[in-house]
Amino acid sequence: MPFDGAGSWAPVALSSDLPPGTVIPAWTSVGPIALWRSQSGRATASSDRCPHRGMRLSHGFVRGEALSCIYHGWSYAVSGGCIRIPAHPDLVPPETIRVAVQQIEEAGGILWAAVGQPATQPPQLDELVPLRSLSVEGDVAAIEAAAGAKIDARGLIRLPEFPWIGLLLAPQEKHTLLLLMIDRDRGPADRIAASRIVESIRRAAEERHREIAE
Amino acid sequence: MKGGAMMDEWYPVGLFSQLSEKGSKTWLMGEAIEVARDRHGNAQVITAEGRALPIRVRYGHVWSSLGNPEKELFAIPEADQPGRRFVDVGVVRVRCSPLRAVENFLDIAHFPFVHTDILGAEPHTEVENYKVEIREGVDEVWATQVKFYQPQAAKSATGGITTEYMYRVPAPTCSVLYKTCPPRPSEWDVITLFVQPLAEDLCDVWPWMALFDDETPMTDLIHFQQTIFLQDRSILENQIPALLPLDPGMEIPTRADLTSIAYRRWLKRHNYTYGAQLVAQ
Amino acid sequence: MKLYDYVLSPSCYKVRLMAAILGIKLDIRPVDFHPGAEHRGPELLALNPAGSIPILEDGDLVLTESSAMLAYLAANSAPEWLGQDSPQETARVQQWLSFSHRLTANLGGARLHEMLLRPGDIKTLQAQGVAALRELEAGLFEQGERGMQFLAASRATIADIACFPYVALAPDGGISLDPYPLIRLWMRAIRSLPGFIEMPGIHRLHELKPDPHPAGEA
Repeated sequence: MPFDGAGSWAPVALSSDLPPGTVIPAWTSVGPIALWRSQSGRATASSDRCPHRGMRLSHGFVRGEALSCIYHGWSYAVSGGCIRIPAHPDLVPPETIRVAVQQIEEAGGILWAAVGQPATQPPQLDELVPLRSLSVEGDVAAIEAAAGAKIDARGLIRLPEFPWIGLLLAPQEKHTLLLLMIDRDRGPADRIAASRIVESIRRAAEERHREIAE
Repeated sequence: MKGGAMMDEWYPVGLFSQLSEKGSKTWLMGEAIEVARDRHGNAQVITAEGRALPIRVRYGHVWSSLGNPEKELFAIPEADQPGRRFVDVGVVRVRCSPLRAVENFLDIAHFPFVHTDILGAEPHTEVENYKVEIREGVDEVWATQVKFYQPQAAKSATGGITTEYMYRVPAPTCSVLYKTCPPRPSEWDVITLFVQPLAEDLCDVWPWMALFDDETPMTDLIHFQQTIFLQDRSILENQIPALLPLDPGMEIPTRADLTSIAYRRWLKRHNYTYGAQLVAQ
Repeated sequence: MKLYDYVLSPSCYKVRLMAAILGIKLDIRPVDFHPGAEHRGPELLALNPAGSIPILEDGDLVLTESSAMLAYLAANSAPEWLGQDSPQETARVQQWLSFSHRLTANLGGARLHEMLLRPGDIKTLQAQGVAALRELEAGLFEQGERGMQFLAASRATIADIACFPYVALAPDGGISLDPYPLIRLWMRAIRSLPGFIEMPGIHRLHELKPDPHPAGEA
């Protein structure tokens, strides 16, 4: 994740993991987020906590252009403001009732969160397509050791034995997010092969991490 | 140990009907205890150091305390009415503050979303005004004239009705709910939540009921109440922060939350802070 | 058809769910599993010496394995749910049915320990549960690459119904579902099936019902 002097971008999820009308839990350097996509396709990162009674918003539901909390149905707009409290249907919720919203960009099939105030756009990874997202119980160093290569300026590891595979890493609070990517021109058999290869790498990285921890 | 005033209260630690001479191990506010039945059939609760704790047997459960309760265990007069059926619903462990478990039990605005098509349903989400007070004589939180429209309010109900409720908090981790009783409209069904604090963020919940219902099989009554509680459990395990905030700022109540506002104020007034956090973090 | 049932049992729920989706009416006989341990009492042990539930009775057929019950319901009403269109499909169904039994042990064992105080080595159960969920996530990825949204085929089969309950309730046992985006999408597809019913711990998908009071947006 290159730092441009003012900030950088961290990958948070795959676009394909967030269809319209859904919400998923994710994480940015600011903290846990409820990452959701409205019916019209707009992706928003809301803080993963409803200010009513602290329920995780990532357990909620999306209707139209709003995210609702599963506990009491309080609904929030993409701007973060609360627009409806079902217990008081005629009440216009005060503006003070809101959740923090973070800047999200979607590019190359990946959802990126801003860290700081980046002046640039998210990294260009046009030669690659994302396949799936994994969570690794190990840090970047453990994954580099298992992969036999280090991350480049974009946060990507190219596997020496399989240079058509790229691992995009994002350290999170207690684990590392790994987005598996391959060269755009590879066929279906390679996609499945890549998934099995990354599972092996994860096993090796976690084994190494456990050894170091002991 | 952070017990404060809650050390000297009574807490449920087991079902009387399930006591054995072998005993079963559990915890009370971080202390390991063993709950058993002696040779004469009496309940006994002993700490890991061998200290015998005070005991009460009431409402189907064994109650104990790590401290010296000044008051007797609270009364539920309806439990003494002839014709009442008592239901031991069975323990469920929840990774949450015991105070959060009680507060959830006091709340009705979640019915259409969490107990969908059982205790409430959209679009009937409005919570009408109700009365809340801290009754000074008995020093308990009471909410009365609480009303909510329900598709299937109880096993004994045959269709949708507007149910009337009263809520009562007689002890920091116990709540009693009085609910419209379909077979006897002038009486209340009594549903309780007795919560055993194992740690500040871990509790065993012991629901219990005293009902007028001669028709419904016991297992159906147990399953209905377990269904309701299990629907709440995944909410309780996902509230942040884990400890109940007693200071304003972190969480925003509305008029529908009058009972919980009174409960939090009452807890703070009494220094009942086991499972709570005081300064907004 | 009579189902000896416990409302909180994910294995019993497999049968209730399959029946609801297929429109089959079951005669439910509730069993006081907890706190009453009725499944270990004389009446039920006489019917099923293994002491487990669910038990399905249809005439003189008594079934005690939930996978067999799913197969029976499907075979009777909707054989396409058996997933036997090809040898590969048949094999995949069997593979995931066997996998579902492991879930009962690991995810189910963790849940019983954390929620109903049953004995168990919780750390091991949770580690095994995580390993199983990762296996499922990888399997769903590969199925997606084959153009199939479900475990054995493009449509749901008894394999999906067999695996769904314990997976959906993994958090009851302290095992988070946060790291599995494909499992999340698969669960959503199952929860959106016509005739789907919930069990306690699995919420309704409120988004499937349009907002009864659409609000203006800020």
